Amino acid sequence: MSKVGQIFFRANSRHGLWTIPLLVAVCCCVGLAASTADFASRQNVLNLFAQAAPLILVSIGQMIVILVKGLDLSVGSVVSLTTGILSLNAPVYVTAPAAMLTAAVVGLLNGVAVTRFRVHPIIATLSIMGIAQGAAMFVRPSAGGTVASEIVALVSGQLFGIYMPVVWTIAAVLTGWKIVHASRFGLHLFAIGGGETAGTFGIAEQRNVLAAYVLSSCFAAAAGIFLAGRIASGDPNIGTQYAVDSITAVALGGTQLAGGIGSLHGTLIGCALLALIANGMNLLNVSAFIQTIVKGAILLLVIALQPRKNIGL
Amino acid sequence: MTYRSSLYRAALRIPPSCIVFVVLIITLWVLRPNMMNPAILGTFARQVVPLGIVVLGQLLVISSRSIDLSAGGVILLVNYLISSGLLSSWPLPSIVLLCLGVGLAVGLINGLLVGKRRASAVIVTLAINIVLIGLVEYLANGKPPGDVPAEFRSLYNLRFWTIPAPVIFWIALAGIMSAFLGTSVFGRFVWSIGSNPASAHFSGVPVERTVVIAHVISGLMSAVAALVQTSSIAVGSVRFGPELVMNSIAATILGGVVFGRPAEVWGPLVGVLCFALLFVVMTTMGVQEPGKLIVQGLIILLAAIFYGLRSKSN
Repeated sequence: MSKVGQIFFRANSRHGLWTIPLLVAVCCCVGLAASTADFASRQNVLNLFAQAAPLILVSIGQMIVILVKGLDLSVGSVVSLTTGILSLNAPVYVTAPAAMLTAAVVGLLNGVAVTRFRVHPIIATLSIMGIAQGAAMFVRPSAGGTVASEIVALVSGQLFGIYMPVVWTIAAVLTGWKIVHASRFGLHLFAIGGGETAGTFGIAEQRNVLAAYVLSSCFAAAAGIFLAGRIASGDPNIGTQYAVDSITAVALGGTQLAGGIGSLHGTLIGCALLALIANGMNLLNVSAFIQTIVKGAILLLVIALQPRKNIGL
Repeated sequence: MTYRSSLYRAALRIPPSCIVFVVLIITLWVLRPNMMNPAILGTFARQVVPLGIVVLGQLLVISSRSIDLSAGGVILLVNYLISSGLLSSWPLPSIVLLCLGVGLAVGLINGLLVGKRRASAVIVTLAINIVLIGLVEYLANGKPPGDVPAEFRSLYNLRFWTIPAPVIFWIALAGIMSAFLGTSVFGRFVWSIGSNPASAHFSGVPVERTVVIAHVISGLMSAVAALVQTSSIAVGSVRFGPELVMNSIAATILGGVVFGRPAEVWGPLVGVLCFALLFVVMTTMGVQEPGKLIVQGLIILLAAIFYGLRSKSN
């Protein structure tokens, strides 16, 4: 088989089946550019980045957790909680560290519940999701408040002539690449997700899994900072969709929910695909309700094309 | 020493839901003695009947190491079918049959994708839920649905002595489920998959088929819950969608059924009652929505940690 063929059809490689989603995404781009006038415009591409950046941040964290056979349902409420804390009436050098610290604590709680107390990830993160959502609603009962101008400046404007959402995306990708594909920690993530034997080869499973959950929460908090800067206020419900969307994006990118198989580029393709679908249907004036149906149907299709060894979660 | 340790182990075998239930009852009794009235408690129990029926299906899928997050979508769709007036010319039995058919179909799709295609249960049922919600919103086009036929309402408000009919229906359904799981071969299959899917497979248990059937039953239970929920509209609190699904998982775990443990009916049933009581206690204590979410999350977490510690000690 040719080299290209090998890359495209290695369904069981460690990076998962990301080539088909890539083809779908490219087809979406070509189709949209041909059928709508606005798609290829500079403004629309910037919009796409601004829409995708928080999802990319959350999804990278989600992927790290999924690689170790986990799942983090609490990311959405961490996003909301972060915007809530940032919109409190306090200087930015207090709120921003407080938000990151809170997120780290949430991740630590998830990790401790999963590793020390052997709670199933879905259950652990589900209950922590409730607690974090409650905290978010306690901090900011309804959308409002003002976010410090420094944070707003972090999201709007340019850095060296590059628009900030693009800068955020690049930073997220570089960080994610370092963590997942260019560090010993990343290698351990794959090893832990890959089988039961990681521990016998001297990998500290519990500590690494714990770190994965903390990282996931911190990535979600970064997405929260981005969103708070964009809307310049706090909102206890802004993160609601991110739990499902990030899992969708990760799954779309070929990462297996059973753990051990996945890739950063796959996750990016998944996020791009989700953003493209939403953006494209908006441009084509498809009803928001039909958009929901299409999103769900695509998810079902992609998942049905990824048979695994085990039945179940 | 052996006596004490066996007593200790017996105490550990009690599902956490029973402990929480007793604590809540005592709290309520101390704080609001006048609430301890069968008629009032019956009304509160009636509100969680849809949740209770969803739990009857959820415990089957959870103990066969799967999960069903599509109950919210099924409830919305059935609710729309009945209240939109599309079927107003149909006789009552055929409406009910159609609704049950919807639940069966959704359960079958879930089951085939999870059991046969080996797709992830979380994603499959989540996606089905998204599709169903989108479908209902598209059909309803943002308009609120119309009236529920009067027959449903009167059935819902029926009481035998002081016990509301839906509660009796729920308990009876739980009894049937318990007897079915206890006596049928299918029940044995679920139990064996619950304890160890690999060894169940090698002992000749048809794992795939059992998972499919568990999902079908769960879908059916969602449809039954939807019928009860639809009858209750405009009466009591409307609890469906994501909250109901999350609560059904919580009640199942609280009742002592976790991934990889045999299905039990009565523990989760008490778990559902806990949610009813929790609602009453927190409302009487003036706890607002954020507080409720936090307490709910803490209870699920503590129940799950309780199991984690126990499985470690074994």
